[in-house]
Amino acid sequence: MTKSSEESPSRRTFMMVVIGLISAIVGVALAVPILGEVLSPLFKKRDIVWTELGKVSDLENIEPLVPKFVPVYFRVKEGWTVNTLPRQVIVVKDITGKLYFFSNQCTHLGCPLHWMPARQKFMCPCHGGMFNVLGKVVGGPPPRPLFVWVHKIENGTVLIQNKFLDNPKERGV
Amino acid sequence: MLKKIQNWFDERIELTELINEFNGERIPRRGGWAYTFGSLLAFLFTVQVTTGIFLLFYYVPYFPMARNATYYIKHHVLLGNILLGIHLWGAFTMIFFLLVHMARVYFSGAYKKPRELQWVAGMVLFSVVVVLGLTGYMLIGNENSWWTINVLTNVAAHTPVIGGFLRIIVRGGTQTSVITMQHIFAVHVWLLPIVVIMFIPIHLFLIRKTGHQGMALEYNKSKLSDDDINKWKHPDATIPFFPDQFYKDMIVALAVFVVIYLLAVVYGAEIGPMYRPLALNFAPEADWYFLANEELLKYFPGHGLIIFSTFLVPSIGFAILFALPFIDRGHDRSPFKRPAATVLGILFLLLLVYLTLIGGEPKAPATV
Repeated sequence: MTKSSEESPSRRTFMMVVIGLISAIVGVALAVPILGEVLSPLFKKRDIVWTELGKVSDLENIEPLVPKFVPVYFRVKEGWTVNTLPRQVIVVKDITGKLYFFSNQCTHLGCPLHWMPARQKFMCPCHGGMFNVLGKVVGGPPPRPLFVWVHKIENGTVLIQNKFLDNPKERGV
Repeated sequence: MLKKIQNWFDERIELTELINEFNGERIPRRGGWAYTFGSLLAFLFTVQVTTGIFLLFYYVPYFPMARNATYYIKHHVLLGNILLGIHLWGAFTMIFFLLVHMARVYFSGAYKKPRELQWVAGMVLFSVVVVLGLTGYMLIGNENSWWTINVLTNVAAHTPVIGGFLRIIVRGGTQTSVITMQHIFAVHVWLLPIVVIMFIPIHLFLIRKTGHQGMALEYNKSKLSDDDINKWKHPDATIPFFPDQFYKDMIVALAVFVVIYLLAVVYGAEIGPMYRPLALNFAPEADWYFLANEELLKYFPGHGLIIFSTFLVPSIGFAILFALPFIDRGHDRSPFKRPAATVLGILFLLLLVYLTLIGGEPKAPATV
């Protein structure tokens, strides 16, 4: 008959080590796949697509310094679905005729911007961020100018990617 | 016959003794009504779990459908509007009475030695319940839900070092999607309720272990000094938990439940329009308990300061609250004998109310 823990201190230590080891093994064996499951999105590559925005000739005719909101629809893979991401592109023509393609999300925490014609500013309804028509911060908490969509012009058509220029931390979208 | 059944159980598991042990707990006598908030919260949580389980019979946690499923519960399920209304107003009431309960414990110094752990367990419950509120708000799937998910995950992204990863994990990808909704759903109906269900017994066990010491006014006749730990073991007068205290608990529970029920029937739950990522004129609004934090976000501009409003102030605030019993280690319990703690507490509550009130004002662009 084996000794009980009360009869032999070393036996007691041995049993405690076994109990601890079994708990640790089961705990780790469960924690590893759970962690993998939870952290899985970190290892997924983001689906980047090009989408048509419109003809350059049409956009060049908009009034200078008056933003035009153009919706685009990105078809991207998300998890187990292919989803349509509707997003606003703010097209602005400056006085030299150069076109800008801004996102309408505030660079502070991502709320949808409103254009206030009377003040010639974009304003954020959440925390009072303000941007001028060329995307510079003119008030409130936003840390940086408006995001610019990655874009290119091919055969007279403007193409937009679901990605921002100059955005190392992948904020927004 | 009943006696026979009772005997059958008593012979095997000593049931009567167990029940008497549980019900006979001595409660300090004078505070009576002030001690009902804890069991009120347990009652409200039970209501939340019950209504929540049955809302799941119709709810779908899928972004384009979630709002319509909620709408269906409200308008097409028989009496669904009442069930949904109780779940919403019950949640608001629960958060409100959590604050009342915390304030009561704070001002009567009930977190002091030997009851520090109770306060910490209570703080865990408080944090979890607030997150339950926020995730519930996101699950409706209306416009507010959509923008709240975006804003709050962006807030999380300002956590130092791990922020960016945190946002991707919470969203289940770089952008808000069906998987984000699924994550929030799992957290709201499984993960956090289980934490609450685990911590309520811990909270109660600790109360039983340290004894119901009650407020300073229970010890008016005691001749021992406040520093003497034995003083807090013998209140002037006590009553049994059942039925004396339980009777008061039930009356308060009924009063609050009637209010929740009326709010559910009269106001119900507002569902709001379907989410539109293309919105040009939408001003997202946070729930009332988040307005103070929301207001804070407006005051810290630019790269260097944003972290104050998104991470530092809230997390330091929570850390101070968690560590309260270890910071305030004096032995005085009466709010009048520790003016610094009392005044700070009142100022903090006033600040909270002020920030909530101005945070709830119409947003700038909507008014110009």
